[in-house]
Amino acid sequence: MPQGDYIELHRKRHGYRPDFFERKRKKDAREVHKRSAFAQKALGIKGKMFAKKRYAEKATMKKTLAMHSERTNRHKIDQVEEGAVPAYLLDREETSRAKVLSNTIKQKRKEKAGKWEVPLPKVRPIAQDEMFRVIRSGKRKTKQWKRMVTKATFVGAGFTRKPPKYERFIRPMGLRFTKAHVTHPELKCTFNLEMIGVKKNPNGPMYTSLGVITKGTVIEVNVSELGLVTPAGKVVWGKYAQVTNNPENDGCINAVLLV
Amino acid sequence: MVLYNFKKITVVPSGKDFVDIVLSRTQRQTPTVVHKGYSISRIRQFYMRKVKFTQQTFHDKLSTILEEFPRLDEVHPFYGDLMNVLYDKDHYKLALGQLNTARNLIEKICKDYVRLLKYGDSLYRCKQLKKAALGRMCTVMKRVGPSLAYLEQVRQHMARLPSIDPNTRTILICGYPNVGKSSFINKITRADVEVQPYAFTTKSLFVGHTDYKYLRWQVIDTPGILDHPLEDRNTIEMLSITALAHLRAAVLFFIDLSGSCGYSIAQQAALFKSIKPLFANKPLIIVCNKTDLQPLETLAEDERQIIQELKKEASKCAAGQLINAVPDDDDGCLLTMSTMTEEGVIAVKNAACERLLQQRVEVKMKSKKISDCLNRIHVAMPRPRDTKERPPCIPQAVIEARAKSNANRERKLEKDLENEHGGAGVYSVNMHKHYLLAVEDWKEDVVPEIIDGHNIADFVDVDILQRLDELEREEDALAEAALANDDEDMSEEELSPEEMQALAVIRRKKKKLLEEHRLKKTTADSRPIVPRRHDKDREYTSSRMGRHLVSMGLDPSAALNRVRSRSASRRGRKRERSTIGEDDADAMDIDQPSKRLRARSRSRSQSRALTEAIPGEGFKDTAQKQKAVKLAQKASKKRNKNARRGEGDRVIVNLKPKHLFSGKRSIGKTDRR
Repeated sequence: MPQGDYIELHRKRHGYRPDFFERKRKKDAREVHKRSAFAQKALGIKGKMFAKKRYAEKATMKKTLAMHSERTNRHKIDQVEEGAVPAYLLDREETSRAKVLSNTIKQKRKEKAGKWEVPLPKVRPIAQDEMFRVIRSGKRKTKQWKRMVTKATFVGAGFTRKPPKYERFIRPMGLRFTKAHVTHPELKCTFNLEMIGVKKNPNGPMYTSLGVITKGTVIEVNVSELGLVTPAGKVVWGKYAQVTNNPENDGCINAVLLV
Repeated sequence: MVLYNFKKITVVPSGKDFVDIVLSRTQRQTPTVVHKGYSISRIRQFYMRKVKFTQQTFHDKLSTILEEFPRLDEVHPFYGDLMNVLYDKDHYKLALGQLNTARNLIEKICKDYVRLLKYGDSLYRCKQLKKAALGRMCTVMKRVGPSLAYLEQVRQHMARLPSIDPNTRTILICGYPNVGKSSFINKITRADVEVQPYAFTTKSLFVGHTDYKYLRWQVIDTPGILDHPLEDRNTIEMLSITALAHLRAAVLFFIDLSGSCGYSIAQQAALFKSIKPLFANKPLIIVCNKTDLQPLETLAEDERQIIQELKKEASKCAAGQLINAVPDDDDGCLLTMSTMTEEGVIAVKNAACERLLQQRVEVKMKSKKISDCLNRIHVAMPRPRDTKERPPCIPQAVIEARAKSNANRERKLEKDLENEHGGAGVYSVNMHKHYLLAVEDWKEDVVPEIIDGHNIADFVDVDILQRLDELEREEDALAEAALANDDEDMSEEELSPEEMQALAVIRRKKKKLLEEHRLKKTTADSRPIVPRRHDKDREYTSSRMGRHLVSMGLDPSAALNRVRSRSASRRGRKRERSTIGEDDADAMDIDQPSKRLRARSRSRSQSRALTEAIPGEGFKDTAQKQKAVKLAQKASKKRNKNARRGEGDRVIVNLKPKHLFSGKRSIGKTDRR
């Protein structure tokens, strides 16, 4: 029920101003100059934001121009199709069942050995005084045997603290995480999955046992949501993922699923 | 009677703009500087404040949006239904619900990150956490972007809805498209609805206002309705149906007799039957329009039949609701008119208004509220005790006195005159009537009050004629005296040598005076600000003048007399004007030059030449005095420039001038910043 058509109504009844079109044309022509003046004079955050916006505009403009000129472009047809095989190999089969089996066995052996192919093979070593903070205790605050973990941790569902008098490592509640944002590397989508445990922390076995999560840690996540099924027909509900960010700086754990 | 004003809703910004607004607000309104070296708690506090502030801003802005948009359950059902038709209730509610969820999510994010910030042990870590927090909040807002866009559209549309008051007196016009509804509303109100030959020109409800019996009536023009079942109706038709369903109004159902709208009378009658349920409890009038093309009388028989049936049904409706209905007067239900020739238009309006008014008054009388009103008004009449007549009792004497005073009134009062001549605003009193003058004819004379910028009243004197005679006599006397003295020639060749000398002396003196005056004017700076008082020893008296004149060999008596008569202490100044006139004849008289000068400058002190050596002063000659004068002037220049009144003046006006005691010193000392 638009009642804002009074403008059109007026135009229908009385027409345009005598100089309307000329003024409009001139105003639009001036817009270009105004915009460029602004772009040149704007300083500070305003200037940066405008520059960013303008850059995005220009990029899309360039793309569309390139698209439009696609017709006149010439392409070399030099590519080879995926899976194309030279003539002398045509008769052979690519992989046989035996090969598949042997690959599975090799993987199992690797698993046993604890060697993994992970997205982040090397991580920055973290020193102990970066990881732990000394907590003074005692009547005169002279005892310094307690430590507080300063990184993100995972403690598990049934976790109960040791009596405060005896606990050496304090894992504060504010830094305990239960969920991780896990990305599937092939599907390229991210899921918010619950963690089951910390498998290995590259900085040392002590950190693994404490459950500290830093960049490069391998964690186990609950993937029952994804509905993955083994070739045998069993439902997969836990998979490993490697952490790719610094959780204490971002407030969340981002990981990549290890397939 | 709440008049819904949907124009006051604040603009809903788009997702990106929202984020920009909030973030720039955070940047401006929170402190911006933090360094690595600050204490960790200070750093933490800095970043926590930013996170909280952003959350607060989001919360405020989202809350205003959520509160300002009307809730469809809380507005009048007419508006609720209207908005459902226009905006789809579900979509509307969903959009607002999404905003609500976003608000809660942002709050949660803020809480989480503020908790994490407490464990930040370095500036870098706190900064990253703050970035993460703000980034997450902005992502939430970006996801809500489409809802914001939708709500902005809704807001713009809502602001332009016509302001229909659902509770006041309303007339609703309905019928097929192109039947003449918009022309009718254009005729009776100032609404300027578009009228075009194609169907569905009116695509929305239009409101106009008209007056009847000193009351304001709303007239609502609806888009045309076609005859198909409710489910098949499009949005525009649904608007009319909504209006019909929810507004308690008088309904005017328009029928086009000529068929120029493109639909036959049978079709229009069918429409009437199908929407009859909507006319319940509403005064209904069937209006036959376009009678200039096809009058009702010359209508074909079968069509006339249809019209009669419609009339009966309409009157049945009417009879159902009103107690004092018009059952026998069927014409109340069916009226004819033509908007082109304008005949019958006003009749239709009046009939509709009357019917609605009656109905409303009846309803009000039956309701409970009216009894409160009635209870407050109570006209008390004393109950008659018996049937005896008791007229008022006036004593006889009073009656006689009244009769007499009425008879006495032969004299015409001013009031009567006023009433005769046109009344209070028209008649103006003639104030000259009662003047007491020597000659009666002078009463109506026009006497001016101001001439040449002067008030005549100032100059009018009681004995002005006497004075005039005196003046004339004096002047005659003077003229004679002048004639008598005119034996002496006034030309210069016949002057005696002594007279020539005296003349020369006088001339030199005059010149000197002039020069000195000019000198004084140019060297105003070097003059002491407090002038030397002339004659502070009071030695220039009239007796001295007399002696001086005698020593020169002249008769002083006339001069002395004049001086005495003209001393300011003796008489008022006005008198002196007459005596000055006399002197003008003697202006050039050589015998008494000083008299003239004296006469001119009565109250002004005549200063002597500064450098003239007066015998008693102690100077050798004029040259020495001149030198002394020069030295004195030079010395006083500096004092004058410092506004000192004399050498002994050590007053400091401003002991602590601000420019010496405030501000930073660039170079120089404090006493000359």
